[in-house]
Amino acid sequence: MSRVRLLGTALLLVGLLLPVSLTAQERGISPTEIVIGSTLPLSGPAAYWGTGVGGGIDAFLRSVNDAGGVHGRKFRVVLRDDSYLPPRAVLNARELVERDGVFAIVGMIGTANAFAARDYIAESKTLWISPTTNDIFAGWRNRKYLFVTYPSYLNEGRILTQYAADKLGTKKIAVFYQNDEYGLGLLRGVKYGLSAAKGVKLVGQASYEVTDADVSAQAVKLRGSGADTVFIAATPGQGALIVREMAKLGWRPTLLATFTLGDPIMFVLAGEAWNDVYSTAYFPLPGLGDSKVDQMLATLIRYNAGLARSPYNALAGVTFIEPLVEALRRAGPDVTKDKIVTALESLRNWNGEVSRAVTFGPDRHQGLNRIHIVKSSGGKYVKITDWITYPTQY
Amino acid sequence: MVDLVQYLVGGLTAGTLYGLVALGIVLLYRSSRVLNFAHGDLATLAAFVGFTVLLRRQPPTPFPIGPQTGWWSFLPAMAGALLAGALAGAAFYFLIIRPVKEATLLGRIVVTLGLALAINGLVVLVWGADTKVFPFPLSDVRVYRLGGVVISQLSLGLTTAGLLLVALLYLLVQRTRVGLAMRAVAQDLTAAQALGIPSRRIFALTWGLAGMLAAAAGILAAPVTLLTPFMMLDPFLKGFAAAVLGGMDSLPGAVLGGWLLGLAESLFAGYISFKFKTTLAFLIIILTLMLRPEGLLGREYRRRV
Repeated sequence: MSRVRLLGTALLLVGLLLPVSLTAQERGISPTEIVIGSTLPLSGPAAYWGTGVGGGIDAFLRSVNDAGGVHGRKFRVVLRDDSYLPPRAVLNARELVERDGVFAIVGMIGTANAFAARDYIAESKTLWISPTTNDIFAGWRNRKYLFVTYPSYLNEGRILTQYAADKLGTKKIAVFYQNDEYGLGLLRGVKYGLSAAKGVKLVGQASYEVTDADVSAQAVKLRGSGADTVFIAATPGQGALIVREMAKLGWRPTLLATFTLGDPIMFVLAGEAWNDVYSTAYFPLPGLGDSKVDQMLATLIRYNAGLARSPYNALAGVTFIEPLVEALRRAGPDVTKDKIVTALESLRNWNGEVSRAVTFGPDRHQGLNRIHIVKSSGGKYVKITDWITYPTQY
Repeated sequence: MVDLVQYLVGGLTAGTLYGLVALGIVLLYRSSRVLNFAHGDLATLAAFVGFTVLLRRQPPTPFPIGPQTGWWSFLPAMAGALLAGALAGAAFYFLIIRPVKEATLLGRIVVTLGLALAINGLVVLVWGADTKVFPFPLSDVRVYRLGGVVISQLSLGLTTAGLLLVALLYLLVQRTRVGLAMRAVAQDLTAAQALGIPSRRIFALTWGLAGMLAAAAGILAAPVTLLTPFMMLDPFLKGFAAAVLGGMDSLPGAVLGGWLLGLAESLFAGYISFKFKTTLAFLIIILTLMLRPEGLLGREYRRRV
């Protein structure tokens, strides 16, 4: 008897589910819901980035939901932890698509992770917006559903190096970098910059592994190179450790750092050693007079108080997701993937709450091609140049 | 030359930390043959408890305190961390290791692996996964200079504390009745029990002591590596390598192994390659096991029947 009842229940359930699956036209889109997923380092050595960015995406979408969602649909966010390990990022991408059934993947921290996962995501024909890397997609063919709003490390390295050569009197530069695609990409950028800057030489390089807890030997090595300028391509933790080690040695070269170290936590972790560091930014940094950005930060913190500890990363999370939200608004109530692609490609010089000057087109999926240089002082970054544009690659 | 000495100083500081971690691992392994994979996470847990004690009177701001604190606010935090480490260690023994004593040795080791994951998850849940500054009474930036060589107050303090702990532990194990009981239980459990040694209490004490050593390693590592739930990943791995190198059942061996590994790493990184620095620890494990499986100061390996 009970077995018959079980069978009956199962059949009933199948009957109930069938119409839903038949009417749903697009994976991750239902009449009431849009499912968005991401894979981030929520644990491990890069957790600071992942919790900030993931928290920012989540808080932003909750604020959109509370304002009524988009065309009656609310967002649901699935965040998966990859510990900053490329194999787990690939696995997570697969789970997001095949198990969670997401409409789009947003972000994905780590150049090495995105590099490992890109083929699977392309093959699954999943919309992928704003992985936190850029140059690895130049020359890659499967970009139909890929939209990038992240700056190019190659060009960032070049621009900072040229600036140091032109304005800061740099003659000998050394690079402290993470031994993976992220750090190597920036190292290539510095070399690219040197090819244009006459009389400046790369005199030293010291790498670290993401799990390293001790970088004292790197500091000694860099000092031994005789460099007058050091470029830092690291996680916030190791970035702070290396400048502390240099301060300990009583050695203070000119410091250049990639924009991923843009959070005020650097001043906490590294103390005074983080003053007068030159870096870049690709959206208006909070607290520097852009009221829209400041308001958005206040909103994010209202939804998740912990984001006060990583304001920069939380806002970066918003820049990853908001072009997609705008495209969903533009595409109207009947959502299909191709409509979203068309809507994204219609963004021209578009300003969101935090994003600025995002431009896509049928032949252009690299949405952002400008940064400006900032300098750290007294716990915040100050803008010291106007926007500097660089050529798009795809 | 200055660079060489500077590499040595860096290597010794790192090596002391490795040695401290190795001490805890060895202490447990000697008495129970359990390789405690949760040792690093115990250290992290204790450091976070210490951090909470430090913060108890601070106003809740996003970035609570600077990198330095006075001794008077630090001492309660240190006591809290050590106590937390000891209690957690003893609790593991009573709640988990003892109930599974029928399991094979491998089974018990796997249990510690599970514990490691569970503690790590707990720490992330309670304190969050981001990086924090662990305030310490000694400064990482204030330095002493000798010729061109620089050593920070913190490095010096860390090395001194490490040496002190080793000496204390050695005295405890070699010169006290409790230590004698610990050695007896480790050598022959049945005979020790027959002689009336309360083996359960001794095991719990050993676990508690190992937990306390973990806590000491945790609060000494946190100001150097910054406080994160994952800060002990690397020191634990290196501590394990140091223990194998020094001999899994030798306390002085653990410390010697730590220093040798720290120095080897630092010199290797400075003069050969940064990229294979982590690999070096594994290489040392393999070479030790091939050439001298009992380790530098370990007694010859015997299978316990």
